[in-house]
Parts: sequence; C-alpha cells; structure tokens
Amino acid sequence: MFDWLKLKKEPVHAVVQQFELVAWPSPDTPVSQCRFLVLDIETTGLDAKNDHIVSIGWLLIEHQEINLAQARHVLIKTPVSVGQSAVFHGLHDKDLSEAQELAEAITELLQQYAGAVFVAHHASIEQKFLTMACQRLYGRSPKFKFIDTMQLEWQRLLNQGKVIHQRDLRLPSCLNRHHLPQSQHHHALEDAFSCALLLLSQLKKSRDQQMTLGELQALSRG
Amino acid sequence: MEISEVIKFLAKTTPFNHLSQAELAQLSKHISVYYYQAQDKVPTNGRRLLIVRTGVFALYSDQQQLLAKLQEGDFYGYQLLLTDLNDDDLLQCDEDGLVYWLAGDMFHHLRHQFKNVDLFFQRLFSRRLHQYKEQQQNSRFTLKLLDVVHAHKIAISPEQTVQQAAQLMTEKRVSSLLVEDAEKLVGIITDRDLRSRVLAENLPATSLVSQIMTRQPHTIDKNAYLFEAVQLMSRFNIHHLPVTEHGVSFSMITATDIIRAQQDHPVYLIGEIHRQQTVDGLEQCSLHIHELVQTLGKQQVPANEAGHIMTTITDALTQRLIKLAILQLGEPPCVFSWLAFGSQARMDQSLNADQDNALLLEKEPKGEIEDYFSQLAEFVCQGLARCGIKLCPGNIMASNPELRLSLKGWSSRFARWINTPTPQALLNASIYFDLRVIEGSRGLFNALQQDILAKTANNDLFLLHLSKTAQERTAPLGFFKNFILEQDGKHKKGLDLKKRGISLITDLVRVYTLAAGISEVNTRQRLQALAAAHMMDSRDSQNLLDAFDVLAQLRWDKHLQELQQGHDVTNLLDPAVLSALQRHQLKDCFAVIHEAQAAMRYRFSREL
Repeated sequence: MFDWLKLKKEPVHAVVQQFELVAWPSPDTPVSQCRFLVLDIETTGLDAKNDHIVSIGWLLIEHQEINLAQARHVLIKTPVSVGQSAVFHGLHDKDLSEAQELAEAITELLQQYAGAVFVAHHASIEQKFLTMACQRLYGRSPKFKFIDTMQLEWQRLLNQGKVIHQRDLRLPSCLNRHHLPQSQHHHALEDAFSCALLLLSQLKKSRDQQMTLGELQALSRG
Repeated sequence: MEISEVIKFLAKTTPFNHLSQAELAQLSKHISVYYYQAQDKVPTNGRRLLIVRTGVFALYSDQQQLLAKLQEGDFYGYQLLLTDLNDDDLLQCDEDGLVYWLAGDMFHHLRHQFKNVDLFFQRLFSRRLHQYKEQQQNSRFTLKLLDVVHAHKIAISPEQTVQQAAQLMTEKRVSSLLVEDAEKLVGIITDRDLRSRVLAENLPATSLVSQIMTRQPHTIDKNAYLFEAVQLMSRFNIHHLPVTEHGVSFSMITATDIIRAQQDHPVYLIGEIHRQQTVDGLEQCSLHIHELVQTLGKQQVPANEAGHIMTTITDALTQRLIKLAILQLGEPPCVFSWLAFGSQARMDQSLNADQDNALLLEKEPKGEIEDYFSQLAEFVCQGLARCGIKLCPGNIMASNPELRLSLKGWSSRFARWINTPTPQALLNASIYFDLRVIEGSRGLFNALQQDILAKTANNDLFLLHLSKTAQERTAPLGFFKNFILEQDGKHKKGLDLKKRGISLITDLVRVYTLAAGISEVNTRQRLQALAAAHMMDSRDSQNLLDAFDVLAQLRWDKHLQELQQGHDVTNLLDPAVLSALQRHQLKDCFAVIHEAQAAMRYRFSREL
C-alpha cells in the first residue's frame, strides 16, 4: 500500500514507460475480445490547464461483460476549493477530506490497465485532463487513445439519417434512446457505468457483429 | 465501490430486498453486466445466477415448448446451481435487455448466510418443477381454508366513518375489514377503497363506511379448499375474500395469505388457465393436467380430493372458454347459466369423464338469442374437447339445441320426467338431476333448482319410479364364485367399478336427496346432509360414505396406473390384481350397497 512512496524515488516517468510498453490490441482484434476500460472524470471546470480533477470512476469490460468487482471510484485531493463545480458533481470540500492524492490514482490506473482500450463519453475532456495530469506528475504523458461513445452515437444516428442536436448526445439522452436504466449523472463511477452500458448496447446494435477494434476506432473518430 | 443503480435495483428485487446496504454493496461486487439483443441465445450452462434487469427473455424446454417469459427481476440458473443437474433449456432474448450475472460462489454464500434467500430459491425451484416435471416433495395439495386462516374477525359497522375504518386497519395492521350490520356481513372495505373511493374522490373523512364499501362480496366457507378460494379470486379479479362458518363471517383471506400458504399447488395451473387469451393457450395448459395427476398420485391424495381437484380444473377451463367465447362473440343477448350435469356437477370427476353440460337461458332460445348461444356452446364444447374433456357420446352437451332451454323450457322438461315418470325415461334422465352452475347467473340456476326440488320432494310416485331405476343394477354379491364380468367395446372383461359400484351409490343417494329436497350435489356432502337432516340413519350414511370412498379410491388408483403405463383409462377391474385386503373391502362395499338398496325399496314402496 505504500507503493506510491517508492515511486517517488524512482525516475518519474517509469510509470509512463511501463504503460507505453504494453501495446494496444491490434486493429483486427474483434471488439468482442477487447478489454475496455470505461472512464469518467469529474473536474472543477473544463480547462485542463487551470481546473482540477475531483474524482475518477472506472470499470472494466471483458468479453463484453462489465465486471463490477473491478469498479473503482476515487476522490482526488484538490489544491483549491471545488467551489461552484460542486453544483454538478455534488462533491463538496468536506467530502474530499478522505480523498487520495492524484498521483496515487493515476498511477493505479496506468499500472493496472495498460493495454486496455480506454472508453469515455465525450472523451476529449478525459483525454485532456489525463494527459495534463501525467505531464505534471511524470514530466511526460503517454498518448492516450480513447473510444468515444458520444462519437459512436453520433455516427449511429447519422447513419439512420436523423437530425442530431447536441442535447441528444448527452449521456442521459443516450441511455433513454437505448432503453437503459438511468444512473445518477455527474458522478464519476455512475457515469462510467452508464457509458459502459451504452457501449455494450452500441456494440450489439452495430450491423456488423464481427466488428474489429480498428473499425470501432474509425467510427469513434467520426 | 458500488454502483447506486445496481444497488437500487437489487434493493427492490425479492429476495435481496431484505439485505442491508452494506450486504448489497458486497453482493454487487460479484455481479457482471451483459447486454443481450433480441434473438441472442443466453448460455444456460454457466454456474451463475442470471438476474434480468431489463428486456424480455423466453425460456423454452428441449421440446421447444415455451415455459416462461423472464422479465425484470426474474431469475434463471438457480436450477443448475441448486441441483447440479443441467436442463436442456433454451433461453433466448425476446427484447433487448441487460442481465446481471451473479457469480455462483456468491449465490451459495448468500443462501448459506440468509435463510430467506435460500428458501426463496428452493421454492422458486419447486414451483418451476411443478410446471413441467413430476418429482416433488412435501407439498400439500389439499389445504383447506381452515388450515391457513384463523378465527380473526376484524369487522366494522357500516355506520362508522371511513376514518374510523382507517384507524382500525392501522391498529390491527390489516389491509381490509369485514363490514357487519347486526352480526350480518354486508360488505368489505379495503385500503385500496380508501385510496380510490375516498381520497381520489375527495370524500371527507367523516364519510360512512356504507358509502364506499363493496356490497355483497363473494364469500367462501372455511371448509372449502384453498384452491377454490384462488379460483374465486382469479375469476372475479379480487384480492380479499371473507371466510364464513355456517354462513356467518369468520375471517378474511387475502391473495397474499394464499401465496404465503402454498408455493407448489394445482393453484398455479388454475391461475394459468384464467390467464390464457386463446384456446391454443388453454390447450397448452391442459397438457399439464397429466403431470398434475401424476403428482397427485405420488402425493397419495385421496380419490375424493383428487376428483374435486380435477373438477375444479374442468370448471376453470369451462369458465375461461366462456370468457373467450364472449370476447369473440360480443356480450350475450340475455342472462344465462352454464350448467354441468353428472360427475362434474357432483365434483367427483374421474380421468375418463366426458362432457355433460347444458345452457339455461333467461329468454326463449329464438332468433339472435339462439344464434348467439349456439355459437357460444359450440365454441366451449369444442374447446373443452381440445383440452382433453371428451365430447359426450350421448350428446348431452350445450351444443345440442335440445339442451339450450329457457327456465320455462327446463322446468317443463323436468316436470314431464317428474310427473309422468316411466322407468326407461328416468333411467336416461337421472343424470340431469345432478346439476350445478359453472358460469353465468347463479340466480337463474337457483330458480331452476328450487323448482325441481319443490316438484320432487315428497312426490311419492316419482320417487317410487326413481328408486326402481336405482335398483335396476345390483352389486355383484357372490363376488368370488359367480362373479359377474362385463365386456367393454374392446372385449376386455372385468368388474365395472362404476356401473356395479360407484353409480349404484350415486343413484341411491340421489333418490334420498330429491325426496328430502336437499340442494347438495356432491355425493359425500349429500350423505352428510341426509344424516344431519335425519333422512337417513347416520350409521347407514357413514357406511355408504366409506364404501363410496373405497370404490372411488380403487378406481382412481387403477386410472393412475393405466395412465402411467400409457394404457386407456377404463373402469373395468380385473379381480385377479386385487390384494386380499382389497377383496375383503370390496366384498364389504357390495354388501353395504345391497343392504342400502333393500332399505330404499322398503322405504319408497311402502309409502305408496
């Protein structure tokens, strides 16, 4: 449990190096065999440079099953007050008193899930904050590749010839459209769970049941 | 870390709803979530519990027969986890949905830790077995109301206010009250009434109970079988039933009480029957009768109770078919009563019973009324035939226009038999004197029954002739030496248990009952009523009752055996297969019948 103490003595980018050593699955891997890490990050704002991560939630999908045993929800110590952002994520300063250091959480994430395909809804936020966190913690960040369920949904609706509004792509609207149970929105783990359910449904609904990771990535890029 | 959505769902799903938040959190860690799309096959050989979260899943037997549709909160996989035996079931997704897979280890852990979780799955398992397998243990098919309800009468007066009713319900922690006026049951009131008839209607708390109560509720005697209560509840879609003792209210039974009282019962078949929307569905249901019979046999349910259960199922099939016919044909043009004769009326139906039914109509069967009921009768009789209740070879069926009569028509037909009796006419007509209403107007039926009893009671000439026809056949006394064997159509020889035994008692008891003007139809109840009314010596009545039970039991056991061996069910008994004890009993039975016939001859001839 004191692993993180040791880490500080080692070269800072060891974690990054380790992470980068494990390659992504090849693009012709069927999505049914991919290991997905579904991630959601709650922050004090949208600017990765000036705002801070307040919580991270994640869970693992293997063989198209969400494994709840591996679900994690980590509150992060912030250097400043969460202030007005509490309105969204419901986390107030007092809740964060038992929070972990950001380094601890990011290290755990990178060490355990190297080689997993990262997934998020509106993934650019997660990508920016994660990259920024790594740069600050290790001096350099791995290049994070994400599958974005919002992009997938946009593609799906586009293929159906539908007129798409921005609000149709919000997570609760997507859950509704897929007849999936609603969770508490803006809670990192609950949102990660919702995003995972959405991904399972999207994968099943795709016309191509033998879809490969490469094809999924292409869809996700839009 | 747990997902609140998962915890919330588990917390409202029986049997996990009793677990604490911490226990649920622990449980959720052993769950994985999978999304199925319609047409996907769900693996059934994994050793884990499937919990349906959303969507619909269809379960088929290895014979492609639809066993169940699983929906939110339903389970699968406990069968394999509990028994280690794999069914060749097919589970297929009907509508896209999520399932939670609970790891097998956790399932067993929960069962060991929480008794109610274990009990729940055990019961779920045995009920499912009951649906399509025979093996079963410790179930009680013949619970009576008095086995499950206690003299726990909570009553209120119609003059009290609804607020007082609500207070009494709260204080006694019940969901319904009997409403009694001077010790007489006049209605019931339920917590639902308080909601929908008081609050929703904006009535003041000072409103009187009499304003909102359900008047003249259906009731049931405490000696009735529990499945009869279910029958009533399913038929009329009610959840509260006052229980009476000698016509006075005694207690209340609710649907929940019944579910609690019995987890594995023919009740499920009856409930299923009342849920069917098509004749095809009923036919499917009736396929389970065979298994039910086997289970009754294994349980060694006495023949008279088994006969009662079989009759209740026929009643339910008839009632459901009439409902379906009305759905198809529209509302009937006049009030009617669907009548059953013979063994269905007496509630001692055997496994080879055929149909004996008729229609009693409020108006003369002419024009559109005749058209309507002719179609309804055809629908019901053919439907019953599809469900395994054979068409009557003697055409005693409502589909026969001669058996669709108005009250006047039936009354004059009975009058003809009663006032100008000839032995031959009566021989054919005796079956009509055992009648019971199955569906439709009870009042119309009561009018006919009272009319018949008024004509037969103390009608010496009629009773003389009826008693003569009842003596036409005798019991084989010289049983072992000159034993009379009859042949059936296929030239099999044997002793006809019905013709030479059971029917003799039925016929004889009918004569006494009609003489006394007693309205009971069931032979055992008739015998008890006759003794109670001192119309028959109580020892004679008891002897006949015992003989009747022995004969009925012999026939029932024989039928069960034939059914198991896949033979035709017949009433012809080969005396060689009897044990020594059975031979003695049979001999005694025949002696009892012989004496009773002699007493009847003496009684009804002398009075002329």
